[in-house]
Amino acid sequence: MQQVLTPPTTTPILSTYSVLEVRNISRNFGGLVAVNNVSFSVNSREIFGLIGPNGAGKTTLFNIITGLTPPSSGRLLHNGKDITGLRPHRIAARGIARTFQNIRLFGNLSALQNVMIARHIHTKSGIFTGVFGLPPAPAEEIRTRSKALELLDLVGLADRAEVQARNFAYGDQRRLEIARALALEPSLLLLDEPAAGMNTNEKQSLSAFIRSIHEQFSLTVLLIEHHVPLVMGLCDRIAVLHFGELIALGDPAHVQKDPAVIEAYLGDE
Amino acid sequence: MAAFFSAYGFLIVSMLFAAMLGLSLYLPLMAGQLSLASPGFYALGGYIAAVMSTSVFPHTEGNFPVPYVLIEMVIAAVASGVLAVIVGIPALRLRGIYLALATIAFVEILRVLSLNLDITGGAVGIFGIPQPFDTQLGYLWIAGPLLLLSMLFVYRLERIRVGRAFIAIREDELAAASMGINPTFYKVLAFTMGAILAGMVGAVSAHFLNTWNARQGTFDASILYLAFVLVGGARTFIGPVMGGLVLTLLPELLRGIADIAGLPPWLAQFLRDGRLIIFGVLIAIGAVFFPQGLINPEMFRRRKADAASPNVPKVPEVSIK
Repeated sequence: MQQVLTPPTTTPILSTYSVLEVRNISRNFGGLVAVNNVSFSVNSREIFGLIGPNGAGKTTLFNIITGLTPPSSGRLLHNGKDITGLRPHRIAARGIARTFQNIRLFGNLSALQNVMIARHIHTKSGIFTGVFGLPPAPAEEIRTRSKALELLDLVGLADRAEVQARNFAYGDQRRLEIARALALEPSLLLLDEPAAGMNTNEKQSLSAFIRSIHEQFSLTVLLIEHHVPLVMGLCDRIAVLHFGELIALGDPAHVQKDPAVIEAYLGDE
Repeated sequence: MAAFFSAYGFLIVSMLFAAMLGLSLYLPLMAGQLSLASPGFYALGGYIAAVMSTSVFPHTEGNFPVPYVLIEMVIAAVASGVLAVIVGIPALRLRGIYLALATIAFVEILRVLSLNLDITGGAVGIFGIPQPFDTQLGYLWIAGPLLLLSMLFVYRLERIRVGRAFIAIREDELAAASMGINPTFYKVLAFTMGAILAGMVGAVSAHFLNTWNARQGTFDASILYLAFVLVGGARTFIGPVMGGLVLTLLPELLRGIADIAGLPPWLAQFLRDGRLIIFGVLIAIGAVFFPQGLINPEMFRRRKADAASPNVPKVPEVSIK
């Protein structure tokens, strides 16, 4: 737990197991079926892509996984344990961190504060130990700050740690959001359209960045993306949603040739 | 100097109380919760002190012992805290203006209860509350340290894990929850801390005012405390403290101005009695021209940044030729 930047005891992974299992998840909003009976599982250490046209239900599915929206039916298993209906902070505490499509940083706070806040579940000093500076609070504060700085350094924002988050450029805000999510030391990282609004060069470097944190933190990554080349190059497996239904699942080359996918999505381009 | 302090003792101590009541509203606001419940807990603390000092603690002559006052404050704090948890858990499910309405209802319920219960003395209230000090200025011995401690407490709170959780919830509750922060827990905690402070201030105030009745802790008071925070600034604890001090001093200043000879009678009258009108106008002006309040964190941040990096070259001015 001491070092953020070195992965915890890396035993070679001999067999893959499913980190997240989505079982027959549905969600209705009134008469609209946003997610319809979707099932898939994400394997450990995998980069799993979730693609689909606008309104396909991708973000709704993310919100269901992270507890922001309860599913109408179906179950969610994380490392084999049922997490259906847990509240968002409980799910985060189990090691599932996320970023948001419409960036939800704490805009008035500094970059450093944003990341320090996300160390919450790895610290435990309460109100009295904190206010009076009793153990473990002072040591925890120092550790929280240095970890946050390490993560800012990782995303290349360490020199602007004191700048208010809302004053960052768009791409930097995305990277800050990833740093904040990594501060939870998650085993599963959910990225909601991390490349939205980026140009081709930025997308390239983002893709490399996701790869590098995937290695460095032994992460399983589940990401939503519109940009097909990025997804094809980055992901081990892909699930395609269309009008709330799962229409394809498999490795990128396979999915790319799937006639249903071409018709629903790739054919549009 | 001594004459000044004895003449204005009541005002000075009132200002400190107001500063603390401003802080009691600021605490839930740190976690983004607009609660107007402080006057309710203030009234509760006052009644606890009034009842205990008049009928529980044996006391016949001389000054009322200060330790008894402190015991009353502790009991008021505990009672307010417990009540805040009971009220807070359901009430804090509401957001924004709905929470404000629910807390106003809470204050009203307490007021009506105190008007109709025997133990609170009904409409007459409780009077003849014993005095621990010879002069009203003596209350500085309690109010001063209490204000300093509560300011220090909030100052520290803004810099620790719990305070960061509050601020995260204020900034974006959903994002905070996704970062592993339990919003319900921290909202109730912030609400309870504000209640405890208001309850303690109420306990001292009961002695200070000598009498306690249902006029303490009303909707008017809710709005007044809110004015402390809004005019002073809701983003740093200095704001409500300054707001409480200034807005309590203001009517007395206006009264002083009204006494200046040669003013037209209508103006003198308005300055004396138009306190609430002037407050209303101030809040409106504040909301339009100083939406952050008189004091905002950027004031300190800029100074800190300048002090930290004096060598950073300023951005050269672009000159158009």
